[in-house]
Amino acid sequence: MSKKSINIIVVETSHIIYEGIFSILTKAGQLYNIHLTDNLIELQQMNIRIKADIILINPLLIQNQIKDFYSLKKELGHTLWIGTVYTLFDQQILTIFDGIVYINDPPNKIIASIQKLLLLKQNTDHKNQLQETLSDRELEVLKLIVTGNANKEIADKLNISPNTVITHRKNISQKTGIKSVSGLTIYAVVNSIISIDSYQE
Amino acid sequence: MYHQNKMLLTSEMKTSDIIIGNPYLMLMLEHFGIKMEVHEKNVKQICQENNINAELFLTIANLFNGFKSSPLKESSSDDIQAIINYLKNSHQYYLKEKYPQIQDYIKQIYQLNNHPEILMIEKFFDKYFLEVTEHLDYENYIVFPYVLNLDKRLSQKNFDNPVDSYSVTEYREHHNDIEEKLTDLKNLLIKYLPQKGDQQLRRKLLFSLFELEYDLNIHSQIEDSILIPLVEKMEQLANRGK
Repeated sequence: MSKKSINIIVVETSHIIYEGIFSILTKAGQLYNIHLTDNLIELQQMNIRIKADIILINPLLIQNQIKDFYSLKKELGHTLWIGTVYTLFDQQILTIFDGIVYINDPPNKIIASIQKLLLLKQNTDHKNQLQETLSDRELEVLKLIVTGNANKEIADKLNISPNTVITHRKNISQKTGIKSVSGLTIYAVVNSIISIDSYQE
Repeated sequence: MYHQNKMLLTSEMKTSDIIIGNPYLMLMLEHFGIKMEVHEKNVKQICQENNINAELFLTIANLFNGFKSSPLKESSSDDIQAIINYLKNSHQYYLKEKYPQIQDYIKQIYQLNNHPEILMIEKFFDKYFLEVTEHLDYENYIVFPYVLNLDKRLSQKNFDNPVDSYSVTEYREHHNDIEEKLTDLKNLLIKYLPQKGDQQLRRKLLFSLFELEYDLNIHSQIEDSILIPLVEKMEQLANRGK
């Protein structure tokens, strides 16, 4: 698990429940910064200061304001929402959360669920980064590679260091799966990055 | 091909069983020059009959099964000969069978799907095939004779003539390029090239590429982990003997 600290906001009216959650999370061995609020408006304001990685929220607080909840969820982008459930709920409501914690869950199960969700999120973010869409800069470098420029020439033309060029090349190869110049040339033509006429044999 | 729970092989195992466990071992037998009528014989017996060191046989067979190899503990002159023969036979498989097969599939695809990019693939491959041929010729005509000659001199305890200035470590650097272009080709064909009624051919072509890559990969491992350490030892012995 990463060493970075995780920000958690607990949205709950009961102090007993909050203290319980707080106690369990602080024994987890992971750095959790835990904050409490009892309403959505304060949550919004809090999140401006403290970008929450996870929000643990009592579904009772949103069951009559589902629309508001959805717009808040959208606004808060990358945050994971976990419902803390201690009474019977309509299953349909529970599906709006990324995860659920039940009041009768033992502490290690609660911690494991949270860590699993965090890991899943990390992996999705990472995967999105590695998507083969090349950045604008990488496209520029690619065009210069396939028109026969050496690393030094590319560095000069784009005003960057040769080391940076090498890094771009590595990323391009990693994203596309193609390493050789001739292979990259075909890639560039097929993806309309250069026209087949400008490709010189 | 793709390692699904393959076994670590031992000399008591029945040869037919290990082949059934991984049919690609038939390629290995072919490269060793071992005929396929294996009856009920175990690996030890087959090796004895074919004058091959069982340890060498198993090391390579286990490579086929996905287990990394380590250099042979002890080796004889016969082993050097056997390894060189194996490698030479693999070269024939690549040059006379696999690469022409792939080249042919590409031509057929172009006939069905005359996108100019397919023509680019054809040119890419033709150029690549030439590079491979050069590399394999280098091995056949320079590296292997060097090794066999070194071996001969050691067994004759002939240390009079100075050892050639060629050293086997130069040879290590050559492989990567070949496998790299194969991967490029795979990725281009699977991910990017436009299709036009050539699905089946493309599948056949890709299967052929995967098979080639599989054998080539093992071939490189044999050269790097078995042959080169052996030759380095031989070079040391030869230089010390002076």
